Formats: sequence, C-alpha cells, structure tokens
Amino acid sequence: MIAKIYSSCLLGIDAYEVTVETDIGGGLPYFNIVGLPDPAIKESRDRIKAAVKNSGYSFPSKKITINLAPADIRKEGAALDLPIALSILASEEVLDSGGMQDIIFCGELSLDGKLKPVKGVLPISMAMGKMGKKRLILPADNAREAAMVKDIEVYPAGSLKEVVDFLNKTIDIKAQRSNIEQIFKKNSRYKIDFADVKGQEHVKRGLEIAAAGGHNVLLIGPPGSGKSMLAKRLTTILSEMTIEESLETSKIHSVSGKLIPGKGLIGTRPFRSPHHTISDAALVGGGTHPAPGEISLAHNGVLFLDELPEFKRNVLEVLRQPLEEGAITISRISNTLTYPSKFMLVAAMNPCPCGYFTDPKRECLCSPFQIQRYLSKISGPLLDRIDIHLEVPRLELKHLTDKRCGEASCEIRKRVDRGRSVQRERLKADGIFFNAHLESKEIEKYCVMDKEREELLKLAILELGISARAYDKILKISRTIADLDSKDVIEAHHVSEAISYRSLDRNLWG
Amino acid sequence: MGRENKILGIVGEVIAADFLKQKGYKILENNYTTPFGEVDIIAKDGDFTVFVEVKTRATDSLGPPSLSITWAKEKNIIKNALCYLKKYGLVYSYWRIDVVSVKLGEGNGVEQIELIRNAIEGTL
Repeated sequence: MIAKIYSSCLLGIDAYEVTVETDIGGGLPYFNIVGLPDPAIKESRDRIKAAVKNSGYSFPSKKITINLAPADIRKEGAALDLPIALSILASEEVLDSGGMQDIIFCGELSLDGKLKPVKGVLPISMAMGKMGKKRLILPADNAREAAMVKDIEVYPAGSLKEVVDFLNKTIDIKAQRSNIEQIFKKNSRYKIDFADVKGQEHVKRGLEIAAAGGHNVLLIGPPGSGKSMLAKRLTTILSEMTIEESLETSKIHSVSGKLIPGKGLIGTRPFRSPHHTISDAALVGGGTHPAPGEISLAHNGVLFLDELPEFKRNVLEVLRQPLEEGAITISRISNTLTYPSKFMLVAAMNPCPCGYFTDPKRECLCSPFQIQRYLSKISGPLLDRIDIHLEVPRLELKHLTDKRCGEASCEIRKRVDRGRSVQRERLKADGIFFNAHLESKEIEKYCVMDKEREELLKLAILELGISARAYDKILKISRTIADLDSKDVIEAHHVSEAISYRSLDRNLWG
Repeated sequence: MGRENKILGIVGEVIAADFLKQKGYKILENNYTTPFGEVDIIAKDGDFTVFVEVKTRATDSLGPPSLSITWAKEKNIIKNALCYLKKYGLVYSYWRIDVVSVKLGEGNGVEQIELIRNAIEGTL
C-alpha cells in the first residue's frame, strides 16, 4: 500500500514542502530511500528500523521504497526521520492515515523511539502558510520556537509512539501556545550596559553617532584601553529590534542550530565576534551546501572584528560586497543561495604592532617600517567602507577609581532613536534608512552647508592633509551629528567634530 | 570428518523442520536442488514464502553457527531462492530468508535451537 506524509526541508533560510511517499511490496526484504537524500538521511534507515521496533511496532520484512518528492532537490538533515517512520507505519495500516493532509511532521528519532530536536524549525513554521498546511507536529524541544508563528497549530511530541497514538486519536496532545509579544519583550533585555564603562566619553559619543547613522566604526587604541568592552555595548544603544527584524535574525540562527532551545525568539541585537583565525567561508558562509556565516548571524546586529590587521587578507576582502549590499550570495556547485547580512561593522586594532604608539606613558618599540607594514594589512577599499575612526586612549587612573557610573544605555538609545527617526523621514523617498548609505548624489542633496562652512571644511582638508576620499565621509558624519542635534543645516561645530572621527586620514602615524 | 559433518547436517535439518512446524510454518520442500546449489527447507509462513538455511554445529570452537553465513553464501542463497520463485511465478510476492541455527550436544541431543527471521536482507 502507498502512504503519503508531508514534511519540510530547508534550502538556505527558506523551507519547502517535501512529500514522503512509501510503497511496501513483495520481494526480498529491502529498505531504500530515493529522492536525493544526503548521508544523514541515508543513515536514517537504521535509526528508523530500531526506533520502530523499540516503540513496540513490528518493522515489516518486506520490500520498502521511500520517495522524497520533489526528487530533484537535495534533502538534508535528520528532520525526515519522523515522517519516514510514520509513512512506513501508515502503509502498514498501523496508523490511521485519514486527515493528515494538513500536517507537517519533522523530528529526528533516537534508537529508543524518542524524538530529538532538529535545526531550522522556525523557517518551516513560517513557510507553512505558503504550503497550505495548518498543523505542525515536532519534537517538544522545538515547539516554543515554532509556535512564534501565528495561524498554525504546533503540537509537541516526545516520542514516535506518542505521535502515532495522537494520530489514532487514543491520546490528546495540547497545542503549544506562545505569546510572541511577551516572549519578545522578555528576551529583549541586555545584560550589559554603557554605565559599566568608566571614562572614554569621547569614544562613547563616537559610538552614539555611529549607532544613529549606521556608520561602520574602527577603534584604535593600545591594549587594555577597553576597545572590546565598548564594542560589546554598542548593541545596547542601537534602536530596539522590531518583531520582523527579530524573526529574520532568529530564522538565520535557527537554520544554523544556534537558537537556544526553549527560548524562542532572539530579542537582542546579535553581537558576533569571530576570532581572527577565521576562514573566509566561515565568515561569509559556505560549504558544499552553503551554510550561513558569521556576517549572516550578525544580521541586524554588530559584527566585531578584534585585532583587524591580524585577519587574513582574503578574509577581509570578502566583506566588501556584503557591506555594500546587505546580503551575500554564495554560489557552489550544488546551489546558489542568498543570505541576508545587514550588520554594523565594528573593528578594533592597535596603532602599531607593539600597541603603544599613541600611548603617552609608554614608549613604542616599533620601527616606522613595522608600523607601515602593520597598517597596510588593511586594504584601502575596506577602509573606505569604515566611516568613523575612533582613537581609544589609555584609561586615566582618575577614571578607573571614579565611583560614579557612566550614562546608561537607555538614555543614549533615546537620542539615537530620535536621530534615526529624523533620517528615516528624510530618506524615505530614496529607499534608504541611514546616512551611512548615502551616495554622492544624495550627499549633495541632503548634506547642505552654507558657503562659509564649506570654505572652512576645504581649508581644514588642506591644512590637515585629509584625503579627498574622506570628504564625502566627513559630510555624511556631519549630517548624522546634525540629526542628533535636531538641526536641518550642518553647522561649523558639526563639521569639526566629524573631522575628529577621521584620524586615519590625518596621517597621524605610519 | 567429511562424512561425519554430512550426517550432522542431515540431523540438524530434520530437527529444524520439526522446530519450524512447531512455529506454525508449513514445509513445502526439503533439500530443493537448483543449478546453483540447494535450499535446505522451503516453507510457507502466512503470506511469506520462506527459504530456510539450516546451520548445525556440534561445538562452539568455530563460533556460533549463524556466524558461518558469509556474504558469498548469502548471494548464493538468494540465487537459489530466485530460481524457485521464478519457476512458480512468485518473484514479486512476499518472501524472505530465515536461518535456523542448531547446536547439538552429547549423543546428537539438541542443546540449543534458534530461529532468525529475515536474516538476509536485500543489499543496495
């Protein structure tokens, strides 16, 4: 007899429907799965056989053929264990197969018939509307994550036997309900705060501007000046995540199996800080069947690259395109997939190999050549995409012993939000959100100054040896500063502050 | 030695046939010969035509009897079975291969007997 069970597999961050068809017939007992299964699914034959037997059902000693339709897309992952086992039981008529047309099944089986959580449940439940399915039966550990989607019913199950009994209507499983707003609110609290950082007011101001305008930041300072600590807290002053953003980010984390079971949504902006030995494939995503990389995991959040010059050159160069487009397309022989990657880049580095070049107290031991070589590891095109350069000085003793706390993140965030809403209003027609994404035509249109200020800026450029490339950047930063100040026209002090955030252009060293 | 083993085999097959009858099998053929060799017992168990390979041992020194079925022997058993099925047009009906392992003790008394259902499955 032929049985049909519906399940779903992932292609990138989107799910598609898979029909599991089973035919049981005569011949020498034999169990085969066709329809481009990957090794994890091929191996599932032995898991399923044991799980069915150990759940108290007899495994048919007949010729079993399983087809996974559509047959031309490669299926991955262990989530098909449960639907395959059920379709075998359905064709043996252990299972009442009526009324299963609107159910999607997924779950990995262990040898004793228990269900284990699987990756990528959120994209599956989000795609169910499109598949025209209403009910989702999955491992209990995944239920909370899947229940984030409205209009579907999610049934958590502990074992194969439970699912069979539920389908035969001998037991009842209560549908998982979650209040998405409530969970989102609970998860959207940060454990860290800018109030923890003492001193460094100039850097905090710089990060506030970066957060408001979506500018990428480079922090330069000696070891121990608090670069990482400051960068980590940047996420806390970015405007709060919307539920749509949160779902987008959670989807990517769900696909890579990085969602904490039972927590549901990601409510805080992600902060990813990969080690500098990372490979290019791990950073932007890759593999034979492309998986999302760090930049996609940092979607809607911050990607922090500590010790920027230590990263391999080719690894930094692959960042250029995703920084521009907010998405990365990975092409491999099997697939071409696009993963979203809208993130703010924050990089940190020492001013020279020994780290103390800008330190007033300690002497730098590096030769000019060494410093030159160190700085040249960062290519011009990448530096071009970093608007704000902030010098993080060594912390003074008086700040360290200061008992007073700094300004709290929520206060800073209020100002950032105001700055962002001004930009959103202004840039609505152009389809961009941040000053950082302004092109030269828009800069001319929006970054207006009077003649006098313009002359001043030109003079400053000549005097300070600022490169022409930096001119547009300074205008963009001045625009953001003016927005934070709620001014329509850029004023002189806005420009001068902006110039101070371009220290690498000022040829201070190297 | 060879003669002794042959006798041992025949004794084992008789014991196995009785054992299968107890289990509800209907014996169709004993020692069915084909061009590829022979099938010890062919029986009917419900819907299934069952081809039974009987393995008899007097000692444990060479391991349990059921271990002595090698991959080459499996292939041969399948070939023999197909010969029979083809003759009666049963290739696409339900059929399987079972193994009965018999261990004989002192004076050819049965020490242990075991039926392994569906012992040989199709390979890819």
